Amino acid sequence: MGKRLLVLALAALLAASIMLGGCGNGEDAVGTLQFHANGEDFVRQGFVSKDGWSINFDHVYVNLADVTAYQTDPPYDSLSGGDVEAEVEVSLDSVYTVDLAEGGENAPPILVGEVQNAAVGHYNAISWEMVKASSGPAAGYGLVIVGTAEKDGQSIDFTIKVEKEYEYSCGEYVGDERKGIVEDGGTADVEMTFHFDHVFGDAESPMSDHLNIGAVGFEPFNSIAEGGKLDEDMAGLQAKLSAEDYATLVDVLPTLGHVGEGHCHCE
Amino acid sequence: MGRKWKLVICITSLLIILGLPTEVHAHGVVIKYTSDIEIEIVATYDTGEPMDGAQVLVYAPDDPSTPWLTGVCDDKGHFTFTPDTSKPGIWDVKIRQAGHGGIIHIPVGEDAVATGSSGGGYSGLQIVLMAACVTWGIIGTALYLSSRKTARKRA
Repeated sequence: MGKRLLVLALAALLAASIMLGGCGNGEDAVGTLQFHANGEDFVRQGFVSKDGWSINFDHVYVNLADVTAYQTDPPYDSLSGGDVEAEVEVSLDSVYTVDLAEGGENAPPILVGEVQNAAVGHYNAISWEMVKASSGPAAGYGLVIVGTAEKDGQSIDFTIKVEKEYEYSCGEYVGDERKGIVEDGGTADVEMTFHFDHVFGDAESPMSDHLNIGAVGFEPFNSIAEGGKLDEDMAGLQAKLSAEDYATLVDVLPTLGHVGEGHCHCE
Repeated sequence: MGRKWKLVICITSLLIILGLPTEVHAHGVVIKYTSDIEIEIVATYDTGEPMDGAQVLVYAPDDPSTPWLTGVCDDKGHFTFTPDTSKPGIWDVKIRQAGHGGIIHIPVGEDAVATGSSGGGYSGLQIVLMAACVTWGIIGTALYLSSRKTARKRA
């Protein structure tokens, strides 16, 4: 009788151990979360500005820091702004200078980095900072736009350098697919999207579209170019552009960061 | 009173006590109740311009990857759907139009709220999504009352 009880007790203990072990494995389920940066076709293929300048980019450097993805509940609302609050988050631990124009016209978004032990779940918010690079092609700036603008036989080689730093907090990616859903052993991605048509406008959108109303266009940059070249940082642009054009540029730069089509809060 | 009538009265009384329906006492009332919720989405730009014809994708809480329902907004930017209330949780509704988009998160179940709003989109021109949760079919979608009397002649 005593032996039988002992066997039963051991069996129960074993079963409990197996069950608890199973629960533990469930909680530890992980996958890989990739972080992409995307300048969209506007950067990869070029486009025509709202004032008729055909713009092509050689390089668009963004310097990214504190890149973090979150599982938020309730979901983060970028319209309300504020910090993202989450119990689960994963981060890239480096600062990255990314060239959004890298690759051909049909190149995929740039892989910035990945976290291989991300807890499973839906990463429905992301934040990042665009800060001044300490070295490399964007040294001293958070954003450097290098390209050529052409119109009516005129060509302007331009380099626009932005030393101001920005911090973006965004909700869920809005696009053709749902991103950020990490399953056990699987790979998912989140995306930092940059809308450069906000700066130059887009001839394919109506001029009455708020996108174009709020954009600088390229003509103001052309007006301060010398010898077919423009190479200015924000301080130089402030000195040379009209107050109105400079104010428009300052207003539009915080709106570059998106998650697909989704809006971000910027500080 | 003959034995035959005594037997009839006894059987009838027994049936009444047992609660079985009889033709004599057919005053039963049957009330059925169903309720459901209908969610109305209103999608506009912050200028007030409706997102006429915008694409709508609805995701249920149990499958965030696959749309539970797809559709388009009407000319006023409205879209209405009835969620499956057996799937409580956050229902996500994504609205997209010509490169602009937003998403709204709607609690269904115990945490359901009557209205909510969210924003997404792009600078200056925010996309404003509003959801109104309307109880419909209200109480007594089906209300059935039946009563029937049958006069019985004494034999």
